[in-house]
Amino acid sequence: MQSFFQTLVSGLSFGAVYSLIALGFSLVYRTMGLVNFAHGAVLMTGAYLASTFYLSARLPFAVAVPAAVLATGVVGLLIERVLRPLESKDVDLMLIGTIGAGTVLEAVAILIWTSSGRGVPSPVRAAPLDVGGVRIPVYNLVVIAVAAVTMVLLTLFLQRTKRGAAMQAVAMDPEAATAVGIHVGRSNAVAFAIGAGLAALAGSLASPMLFVSPTMGDSLGIQGFAAAILGGFGSIPGAIVGGLGIGVIGSFAAQWFQGYSDLVTFVVFTVLVMVRPTGVFGEKTVNRA
Amino acid sequence: MNRLFAARRPLGLAALAIVAWVLPYRLNVYWISVADTALLFALLAVGLGLVMGIAGQVNLAQVAFFGVGAYGVGILTTAHGFGFWLAALLAMVAAVCAGLVVGLPALRVQSHYLGIVTLGLAVAFLDWVTNAPVTGGDSGLSGIPTPPLFGVGLSSQYLYYYLELIVLAAGLAFGYFVVRTSLGRRLRAMRDDALAAGAAGAEIRVLRMIAFVLASVYGGAAGVLYAGLIHYIAPETFSIADMFLLLAMVIIGGRQSLWGCVVGAIGLTVAQQELINLAAYAQLGYGMLVVAVVVFAPTGLAGVPSRVRRWRLRRRSGISAAALGSFSGVPSSGRTGAVLEVSGLVMRFRGVIALDRVSLRAEPGEILGIVGPNGSGKTTLFNVISGLYRPSGGRVDLDGRVISGSRPWRISHHGVARTFQHLRLFGNLTVLDNVRMAMDRTRSWWSWRYVFWPVGVWRHERELSRQAGAVLDAFGLAAFAGALPHSLPYGIQRRVEIARAMASAPRLLLLDEPAAGLNGDEQRQLAEIVRAIRASGVTVVLIEHNMGLVMSLCDRVVVLDSGAVIASGVPASVAAQPAVLEAYLGTTTLPSEAS
Amino acid sequence: MIRRSGAAAALSAAAIAILAAACSAPGSSSGGSGGSGSGGSTGAASGPIKIAVVDAQSGSSSDLGQFEWRGVKLAVDQVNKAGGIDGRKIQLTLFDDQGDPTVGTELARKIASEGFTAMLGTAESSVTLAMAPILQAEHIPNITSGQSTKLLKLGSPYLFLNGPTGLTYDSTLAKYLVQTKGYKKFALLTNNDSYGAGEDSAFTSSLKSLGITPVAAEVVPADQTNMTPQLNTIRSRNPQVLFIGAEEAQSGLTVKQARSLGMTAVIAEGAPAGTPLFLSTAGVANADGTIVSSPYLGNGVDAASKAFAAAYTAAYGTAPELHGAKAYDGAEVMISALKACHACTGLALASAVRAVHRTGLLGTFAYDSQGVGIFSTSIGIIKNGTIEPVSS
Repeated sequence: MQSFFQTLVSGLSFGAVYSLIALGFSLVYRTMGLVNFAHGAVLMTGAYLASTFYLSARLPFAVAVPAAVLATGVVGLLIERVLRPLESKDVDLMLIGTIGAGTVLEAVAILIWTSSGRGVPSPVRAAPLDVGGVRIPVYNLVVIAVAAVTMVLLTLFLQRTKRGAAMQAVAMDPEAATAVGIHVGRSNAVAFAIGAGLAALAGSLASPMLFVSPTMGDSLGIQGFAAAILGGFGSIPGAIVGGLGIGVIGSFAAQWFQGYSDLVTFVVFTVLVMVRPTGVFGEKTVNRA
Repeated sequence: MNRLFAARRPLGLAALAIVAWVLPYRLNVYWISVADTALLFALLAVGLGLVMGIAGQVNLAQVAFFGVGAYGVGILTTAHGFGFWLAALLAMVAAVCAGLVVGLPALRVQSHYLGIVTLGLAVAFLDWVTNAPVTGGDSGLSGIPTPPLFGVGLSSQYLYYYLELIVLAAGLAFGYFVVRTSLGRRLRAMRDDALAAGAAGAEIRVLRMIAFVLASVYGGAAGVLYAGLIHYIAPETFSIADMFLLLAMVIIGGRQSLWGCVVGAIGLTVAQQELINLAAYAQLGYGMLVVAVVVFAPTGLAGVPSRVRRWRLRRRSGISAAALGSFSGVPSSGRTGAVLEVSGLVMRFRGVIALDRVSLRAEPGEILGIVGPNGSGKTTLFNVISGLYRPSGGRVDLDGRVISGSRPWRISHHGVARTFQHLRLFGNLTVLDNVRMAMDRTRSWWSWRYVFWPVGVWRHERELSRQAGAVLDAFGLAAFAGALPHSLPYGIQRRVEIARAMASAPRLLLLDEPAAGLNGDEQRQLAEIVRAIRASGVTVVLIEHNMGLVMSLCDRVVVLDSGAVIASGVPASVAAQPAVLEAYLGTTTLPSEAS
Repeated sequence: MIRRSGAAAALSAAAIAILAAACSAPGSSSGGSGGSGSGGSTGAASGPIKIAVVDAQSGSSSDLGQFEWRGVKLAVDQVNKAGGIDGRKIQLTLFDDQGDPTVGTELARKIASEGFTAMLGTAESSVTLAMAPILQAEHIPNITSGQSTKLLKLGSPYLFLNGPTGLTYDSTLAKYLVQTKGYKKFALLTNNDSYGAGEDSAFTSSLKSLGITPVAAEVVPADQTNMTPQLNTIRSRNPQVLFIGAEEAQSGLTVKQARSLGMTAVIAEGAPAGTPLFLSTAGVANADGTIVSSPYLGNGVDAASKAFAAAYTAAYGTAPELHGAKAYDGAEVMISALKACHACTGLALASAVRAVHRTGLLGTFAYDSQGVGIFSTSIGIIKNGTIEPVSS
């Protein structure tokens, strides 16, 4: 039982990271209809920036992460400019086009930071909490808390601010939004920048738990995308539930099936998608046909 | 010019064959091994091109099919002592089974959902081969034997090249045979518009499985050859990065052209070898190339010549509506019209009632008009009759046979054809192919002939072309046979859609707003066509907003409002009923000029 | 009509091509294998001696490849500066195998076709496993940095290891932990690539010969960076020693994550634990007390290692580690063999390598029939980020 809860805790902490990744996927998709397979590479860029600020520039972690989020958001604006012609293309082109963009980011990262990767020391040095024999690393709690706060802020932004409302309007009906004077292009750019920022946040939060390398985004990106699909592509509560779901499934698969964890995770995922193709909360589709 | 091109093609092919045949004489040991790898990737890419480019099914598990073929041979020859070719045969069977498994999700999901699911399955396969003792785990399987051929061991890389070349040539020939004939046309139609393809008689689910099986056959064959070539297999070769590389080959080369796939595969393999010591810069260049191709040349290298040609053509003259011939009557199909009987039909969407106990009847040789304000359920009614929706209640009979609840392709085979409110022509099929696709009344299992009786396919194809030519002539569309629909003026596209519907020799024709967007002249021609269709004995049901046309064309009219029938009868009497006026205008003025 | 004559032309042209091809087989001019430098025995040729170095320069194991390259280059630069071999310089060419066995097989053919005398590398057993049959067929001796026992099973007379096998690392380690330290409860965490799987079986069998069965043996995928689920299982069994069998970064992460779960078991590991990447990933505090089995414990152990470390640091600006030392030793063995047989090639060179008897950084090389030259490792313990030899 203790082992069960211990694995659950680990699954939820990584699930929080997956939720943030899925959130970025979903936000970009619902606003601009772009399935962004470069999301993992954007995450990697964010993680490298944060670790550079933290390790090389010696900024405190709490400063390095927001700085990386902002910087990656700016990088996101540039990428959006490049990918803009893809937004109306069919899924094959989007797929390979964004994968190509991701490859470019990876190559740039290798040229700047080499391909060997780096470990990031945990910024929280406190001993793990002991709750009835279940050890909870304090940093994991920080990650869960930051992820939760981010999701609340994002929801408030979308519902309470003018810019957020405009993005919602574009998501629902870009033509009508244009008619009432909303700049769709700008709205898309902001959505992509926020998506990139979310990826950077996920990457930099995960880096002390994981390992920063040019390929770190590959599997995190796939897991995050699977999370978004599982929860309901484009849905914000779906991203949260899907992320936690993939995190927990992955953790138990790793504990019970060891080396075969990916096999188990993705077979379970495939079955879930076939049973319920639109995910837990249903797809919030952009209708641009 | 067309004839010249036709003459050049076999010459070009011959030149290519000679170059491919003498190439090994110019290559050293290293480059011949690169050439061997390139040919394998070409075979893989053709398979991926078939499933993605031709059938429109996102498949990120092609590399797993490759792996199943390779590991099948590896395991059976090294652990069980099978001979190479027997192992190869069993490995191909395994690859086809893998194709069926990976294709299964395509029955439920499409597009990016299918992408992530197939990618997940590829990851799962990779995970299995990395862990399983039977696959040798991460260190792989070594000691796979060289395939013997007529007593000659193919241990030489040079001889192997010819084996691969022959397999690739056969694979390409078969691929083109599929693409250019009945099965491929259906796959391409499904890619362009699955809904319309289903309504035109294509068994979408079976076709999707066929597409994945085709891809797995090519992937498996490449895997078998790979195992025989390298004698060693390990999981790295089947990684996700390789899957994306393969995808890039197909997209850069041109996914809708099998030749494009081959060119992309060979080009990228050679480039990768040339740049092997510049990995990071090569990766940078490759990424930028992929983005640039997707943005500037979405049809890939293979699509460039036709884009240039089309651009020049458009500049020179463009396709003029003047080439439209006159309508010369419906070719007789030998089938008579059917009685459509809709009784008590109910359609609910999440509590919203779209059709509320609709009953109506249409007789052979009759044109029944269906009118009603926007949102009154007219198109929903058509969608239920043609099988796109399964009704919540009630039934639809055709000549006394229940058709409601059947799948669209089955209803099409019962003799129901339709057009769509918003044109749904197959955008990347020529006008001729649009018509041939609908004309093809064979079932999907008919496709066994591709493997066992290709001559039958060929004969069928000739017959289809002859009949389709007759349909195009009859509808005055012969001049546009080779054109893509969207290059034609709107009015002509409308006519193509009716020709396509009639090509299936229906007994009941459903026309959804056929006059929308037509000018006066075109409307008159439309009326003439519809009357001729009625005269040929086909039952016609037509949704139309243009009341003038309805009044002049229809024998009877049914009025829908909020999903219920509020009036029916001959046009003049219906138009006079107060309930109809109320529904249309909220007042009691005459709606005759409303559009 | 035009179409038909075109097709006829195509057919006849193809027929001519087939006939032409049937007359002589391509690539047959040089005895079926092509290339120029294969199959020879004595080195009568002039010009530089070409040696290929194949190591990952890109991808996740590129660090290793970089270390290996530096070690080899240092040895070769030294011999070239001293006048070369019989007046001939050694010319090194670096190839990037990307850690991919398939790329490895292509490189093996490239090396053969470009007339290389010998090959050094690779750092990964799986790549060497794939290349070895081709190198054997092309008569190119290869000293690899791999340590998998599967390499020995190939039985190639052209394949040599530049260090001990995994089994040597692990049996030395197990003996120390059980017999010297008296530990009884062991847990294993290994990854599923060929290195990890080799470590798993080698350490398990070493423990078994000492009469001990591990309390837990968990496997992680080689690309997994979150080891906590498996560590949870291990923690619940409460072992005294956690043996890790994974590459540098993953080992470091495992140590860090184990400590963040509050695990206090002694960490024990083979060669990867001594490397800078392990230390930086784990963190110096977390790595403290890790017990390492390695043939090269550090740069200050004896005079030879001090001299090597000084030369290495002078050349590259950083201190060497195990992989650089191993590769340096491997290159030295090859150089000795070339000197002994006057730059011979093929099987003669392979025999010369087998006859080499010299003391290097890792110990005294004396090759057996399977191509292994070093049969012992030393035990060290990590303190404050450096390895100190334990007095045994």
